[in-house]
This record gives sequence, structure tokens and C-alpha cells, in this order.
Amino acid sequence: MGTIVLGYDGSTGADAALEEALLLAKQFDDRLVVCFGVAPPGNVGEEYKEHMQAVEELAQGATAKALERARSEGVDAEVALVRERAAPALVDLAAERDARFIVVGSHGEGPIRGALLGSVPHKLMQLSRTPVVVVPARD
Amino acid sequence: MEAHAKTAHYADAGSEPGEKGLKKDAIGFLDGLIIGIASTAPAYSLAAVLAIVVVLVGVQAPAVMLASFVPMFLIASAFFYLNRADPDCGTNFSWITRAIGPSAGWVGGWAVCTTGIIVVGSLAQVAVYYSFDLLGLDYLRDSRLWETVFTIGVIGLMTLICVLGTELSAMVQRVMILAQVGALLLFAAVALIKVAGGDAPAGSIDPELSWFSPFAVDSASILVLGLLSGVFIYWGWESAVNLNEETEDSTTAPGLAAVVSTVVLLVTYVATTTAVVAFAGLDRVAEYEDDPGLFGAIAPDVLGNGLDWLVVLAIITSALSSTQTTILPGSRTALSMARQGAFPAMLGRVHPRFLTPHVSTIVTGALSAVWFAILFNVSENFLFDSLTALSLMIAFYYALTGIACTIYYRRELTKSVKNFLFIGLGPTVGAGILAYLFVKAIDEYRQTDQSYTGNELFGIAIPVVLGVGLLILGVVLMLTWRATGHESFFGRKREVVDPDVAAGRKAGVAAVPEEAV
Repeated sequence: MGTIVLGYDGSTGADAALEEALLLAKQFDDRLVVCFGVAPPGNVGEEYKEHMQAVEELAQGATAKALERARSEGVDAEVALVRERAAPALVDLAAERDARFIVVGSHGEGPIRGALLGSVPHKLMQLSRTPVVVVPARD
Repeated sequence: MEAHAKTAHYADAGSEPGEKGLKKDAIGFLDGLIIGIASTAPAYSLAAVLAIVVVLVGVQAPAVMLASFVPMFLIASAFFYLNRADPDCGTNFSWITRAIGPSAGWVGGWAVCTTGIIVVGSLAQVAVYYSFDLLGLDYLRDSRLWETVFTIGVIGLMTLICVLGTELSAMVQRVMILAQVGALLLFAAVALIKVAGGDAPAGSIDPELSWFSPFAVDSASILVLGLLSGVFIYWGWESAVNLNEETEDSTTAPGLAAVVSTVVLLVTYVATTTAVVAFAGLDRVAEYEDDPGLFGAIAPDVLGNGLDWLVVLAIITSALSSTQTTILPGSRTALSMARQGAFPAMLGRVHPRFLTPHVSTIVTGALSAVWFAILFNVSENFLFDSLTALSLMIAFYYALTGIACTIYYRRELTKSVKNFLFIGLGPTVGAGILAYLFVKAIDEYRQTDQSYTGNELFGIAIPVVLGVGLLILGVVLMLTWRATGHESFFGRKREVVDPDVAAGRKAGVAAVPEEAV
């Protein structure tokens, strides 16, 4: 049994990725790890902890939804909150679990908008040593 | 602490957060050094404050740069020990709430948030002024309307950057910070060599040893006003000592980084100030009391037209890059206050994609723009008025932090000489100096406003109206918030430090209710 790592933040794009990941998990009989990178931006100390707790609560709310959906589909799933920004969190978790795929949603942005807003799929394509599945958002 | 329990549950389910919630990639010596320098934004601070200090104290400006470090150093000790008790949570709001009580904590947090609002306008204005300067757009630079328009544009852009949580890569940051300090030191060295060689323009003065003595300042009241401006240039420096928990080698790397960054800062400030005063002379510097353009005007004479852009670029990057290190703490304080029931819950929201406290950041940005647009067009000396108001508020909340440290650790003070000196005496004396500067400066401006700016509102000098007015507004809002319920926050009990944490045997958080000890 292998592992599929899903990047999930509760957005529409992420929901599309969740469905695709469930399909793949059933196909390969893999375990699904729902990942949320919970490191808030800004590296200097002030109120960092409080900020991270706020982000963690957000992440728990979002990932709980995905976990429930996966279990309702009969897929073996777990949640991993990783204290890094989204892209490195996925890359490191996938490497650590020797994952089959990383599955992420795209926000459906053009390259310029993606570059300005910080596109996780773009970063994964450059950083990841695990195959990456990018799922477009359905309208 | 409920959130902690939840985290632990998730950690069991397979997540990999580091020990005690620290970030996985620890901060090394070079990063500690960079953060220590970056958090004070030396090039921007000098551009904003130097002419003001020189107008106040004349050739003793270098002495003021040195002397104003003393209260900062003492208060940094308070930050260090409070951070040990409550790591990664380093703000005045949480600490003052724990040590002195919710009402004082609220006003302290309010001061942090409002200083953020004031400084964003000043950062943006300095960046705009020097960008026009660099591009040779003198027409735009000298038009109040265009400066207002572009500054508000830059405030918008900076707010957006903070909402998106965009960060420059560590490498770019390192290069920018080191280049900034390098440009200033190059400028200072060339200027001093030219003065010594007699190549400086007419009006230059040879430096004397008395320039470095604060006791040579003409009057005590002038020294007070100079020192208050000096508080501004070291604002943020405590970040350097607050990195202890995250650093690779907790016992030596951060300590060494803090010491080295301090030496670098002091040398940069004192050398640049000495160089400017010696090279340009007092009269020429005094022309720039009203705007941040001093370096732009002198740099071509010092470095020649080929290299002067280095200094100008250093100031622009310094002003822009310190956005994140100044806006973020302010909006995080608002987030923290909102989550603890001290501010409206709305301000505690985190953006689901960017993970930043976007509501509090946008509110900060919008208020900054309004603040700037009004003050810049009402005040005859925007820079002086806003920085003086800022310094008053910084002095206020730093003093409160110093006292909070002593109170929080009061049962530990007599356990060792070191405790007594660094946790008790140092922060208390630092707080005393800052409180004295605060009161004395208000008194000075009240009596002699005409001679400094000639700019007043309701018959009181503008900086006092702004600085003290905002604090009084804070007290009024706090009382209103308290009167309308919010028992979960205002009903909190004061705490004292856990003796094991104080002795370094155990990591914070950790406080015990007062009556339990």
C-alpha cells in the first residue's frame, strides 16, 4: 500500500483535487494524507505563536472536512499539519512518506497572477521529486 | 491552551510539527545578524531622523546616537526575559496583560498597533521621496499633491504585499541588508576621508572628541528631545535578542548575533552621523529638517555622481523592506488581541489562502493612508511631527514592557545577583529613563513649541497632540470596551512567572496564577 499526499486548504480548487485524489487512492488502494502547511508568513518573533494557532485552527477546520469526505468514500486517510509554507510542506512530507503522488488543485490563474500571488503548483514543479498531479478547479 | 491540546492530537495522527512549535529550519548566526540589523532599518531610520537630531543638538548628534542606545539596551533585557517565559509571543500586549493586568495590556497593545499605523506613512513617504530623487523627477518630488498621491499608492502596495505574505528569499534579504550597511559605511568613510584631506566643500567641520559626549549638549532639555528621537532609530532592535529559541545553537549563535548586530548598528549610526555633520556642516544639514532628502543631497558630493545612487537605493530598499518587519507585528498584535477578546473578533481573521491576518492588515493600511493624507497636508513638518509622536508612543510602551518584566519576575529577583541586575534593575532603570523622556519631552513641547516647529493644534505642539492624544484615545476605547462586557478578557487574573521557567530549567509558556504561588 502506497501513500498519496494531498495539498488541501478548503478552496474550490482543493475540493476538485480531493475528488481526484480519492479516485487515485481507490485505484491504487493507497492511503491518503491530507496536508496543510501551517507556517504563517513573516519570520520575526512577535506574536508568532498566536498567529500560528489561528492558522492551525483554520487548517483543522478545513482538513476535517476532507478527512470526513475520504472516510465516507471508504479511503484510509489521515491529516498532517506541517509547520512549513505550503510548497515545502508538501515536498518534505511526500519525500518522508515516499509518496506515489502529490495531488494539488490549481486556482486557475494565469502565469503572471500565479507568480504574484504565489502558485503552489508552480513551486512544486520545480521543487518536488515526487510526481505531481495538478487538478484544475471545476466551475 | 486548548489549541495546544488539539495540535498534540493532530501530531499523534501523523503530523510533523517541530518540538514546542518552533519552525523546522532554525535560524543561524548570519540570519540572526541580518534580522537584528533589518528590524531597525538603519538607512531609512537615518534618512528620517538624522537632520532632526542635528537641528536639535548640533555637533553632538553622534553622542545622542550613542546615548539613546542605553535605554534600548536595558529594555531589550526585559524583552529577552519575557520572551523566555512566553516564547514566540513577543509582544507587549500579552506580557503586559499577564504581568500588570488586562487594562494596561490593552493600552500597550493599542500603542503597538497605532505606532504601526503611523510608521507606514513615514516609510512610504521616504521611499517615494527617494524614488523621485533617484529617477530625477524633481517636479514630482517637490509637489505636495503628487507626493501624497504616490505615497498613498505605496501604502496600498505595501499593504497588499503584507496581505499576500510575500517574502523575499532569504538570499535576497541578506544581500540587501548587507548592501545597505555597506553603502552607509562606504559613504561615511569617503566623507570622513574627504574632510580629513580638506576635500570637503565649504562649511565642513573637523570632528572633535566632544561630539561623542552627551554631556557636551548645551541644555538638558535639548538632550531629552534628541534622545527621544534616538529611541526611534533603535526601535525594533529587541528582535535580535528575541531569537534565542529558534536558533541552531541556542547558547552561543543568537547571543553572538545580537552582540555583533548591535556593534554593526552602533558603528553605522555613529560613523554616518559624524560623517554627515563633518562633511556638510550644521547649516546645510539644518535645511533638511523638514524632509528626508539629506542623503540624496549630500551623496553626490561625497561619492561623486557615479556612486551616489548606492546610498539612495539603500534608503529606498530599507524603507520598503522594513514593511514586513513593521506592519506584520502590528497586525499580529491586533490578531492576538482579537482572539483574546480584546478587539472585535473580525480583526482576528486569517486569510484562508495567504494565512495572513488580512483584516487587521487592511485596516492598518487604510488608517495609515488616511493618517498620512491628513497630517502631510496639515502639518508644516510632517516628518518631525509624526516621528516625534511615534517616539513618544514607543517610549511609552517600552517603558510599560520594562516594568512588566520586573513585576512578572518579582519573586525571582532576589534569587541571584544576575537576576537582580538584568531582570530587575536594568529593565526598571530603562523604563525609568524612557518614562522620564516621555514626560519631560511633553513638557518641553508644551512650553516651547514655537521654537521647534511653530506648528500647533489647539495651542499645543502637534507631536504632543498626536502622541498623547492617541494614548488617551486608547484609554477611552479600552474603558468603553471594558464597559460593554468582554469579561473573558478583562476578567483575567494577573500572573507571575513559573520559577522553573525563570531559572531556565523548563521552557515557557508558563505562568502560574498569582495566588497559586
